[in-house]
Amino acid sequence: MKNIEFTLNGFPMLVYVDPSLRLLDVLRNTLGLTGTKEGCDIGECGACTVLLNGKAVNSCLVLIGQVENQNVLTVEGLSSHGSLHPLQQKFLEYGAVQCGFCTPGMLLSAYALLQENPHPSEDEIKDAIAGNLCRCTGYKPIIDAITAYSR
Amino acid sequence: MRTKVEFIRAETINQALQLLADNNKNTRILAGGTDIITGMRMKSKRFANIDLLLDINSINDLKGIRLLEDSVTIGSNVTFSEILENKIIQDKLPLLIQSASGIGNLQIRNRATVVGNFVNNAPCADSVPALLVYNAKLRIESLKGAREIALQDFLVKAYKTQIAPDELVTDIQIPLANDFCGTFYKLGRRQSVAISRISLAVLAKLSNHKIDEIRIASGAVTPIGKRFDDLEEFAIGKNAGKELFIELAQKMAQQILDVTGLRWSGFHKIPVLQQALYQLLLTTIEL
Repeated sequence: MKNIEFTLNGFPMLVYVDPSLRLLDVLRNTLGLTGTKEGCDIGECGACTVLLNGKAVNSCLVLIGQVENQNVLTVEGLSSHGSLHPLQQKFLEYGAVQCGFCTPGMLLSAYALLQENPHPSEDEIKDAIAGNLCRCTGYKPIIDAITAYSR
Repeated sequence: MRTKVEFIRAETINQALQLLADNNKNTRILAGGTDIITGMRMKSKRFANIDLLLDINSINDLKGIRLLEDSVTIGSNVTFSEILENKIIQDKLPLLIQSASGIGNLQIRNRATVVGNFVNNAPCADSVPALLVYNAKLRIESLKGAREIALQDFLVKAYKTQIAPDELVTDIQIPLANDFCGTFYKLGRRQSVAISRISLAVLAKLSNHKIDEIRIASGAVTPIGKRFDDLEEFAIGKNAGKELFIELAQKMAQQILDVTGLRWSGFHKIPVLQQALYQLLLTTIEL
């Protein structure tokens, strides 16, 4: 067990945990932040996507010990003061959310892309969300929502 | 139940080497973790009985891509995303860009390292054929000293390399191949997040339409990524043309059959492989 400090959603965080736990498990079980979903467990589905120092990563493939002194953003950090982020609003507006299980990961992959590239092409959007599987929407509403936000 | 695994983040190469030298512990180096963490979760035998995960991501001396007079060095912390964004690699090592761009997805490329790709040495490791045709060399350190080894010699068999338990690969050195032209090819079941079924890399140097030097490597269709020395020798001095390319494609298929035997997938894979190498040679060497 070890004290691990990192920045979570803009705030300093200190957890006392086994450093070999996955970031995903600490977020969900220790911190109760269940917005980050566990899907495939092997880095293929993207449901557990969070941003680590601004880059999209699968939190099932990162150990909590590895995020010491790093910066983590989860879906809970997108909204502020109880109101949704405009990107989340666009997801609702365009029907990009059906069952919703992929949505947190999808939002963060899109958010990471938009931070680096505010006006991405459709191919750039597809590449950014290639690691986020959605079995409901067929992806089109998601791509439309991201495109609409970027305009 | 999961057995307890210790985790330490090393800050310096020396600290990592000290920890690796401890014979009482089964220590595994953790770089991107995309193979190890999933492997441990899936209870893969290759990752059983690990006592200590040694994270090397904070070691500054293992970061960075440097252009030297006649080579490029890539530290063992460098991720595939860093490879793809790097100007030096884009200019000097296009095959590495082509092979890195098809690996996993963005989340994987943001973590997975190019050194981890060949230290894990899966048959389908996408960067391996590209690194092989570039004649990549590795630098390996332990408390006993440092050594250099060609990637080709480092790779022993699937998931097995020459690395000793107390050793750390610190970087790859890739000689520049400025007067060569080359292409990388990957066939997967879909466009992204696909494991390679066939991967090929070709690098060639011509003078007066004749082959001065050619380097050919494959992945996924052979037990590990490998070079085809006989084919390369055979092609030297020959006219670069369709006739030669057909002959090379046929010879390569035969060699692969000799190594792997005829498998259930061979009936479609062998013709595809021949065609893939033929097309790749045509693309690489404009006639």
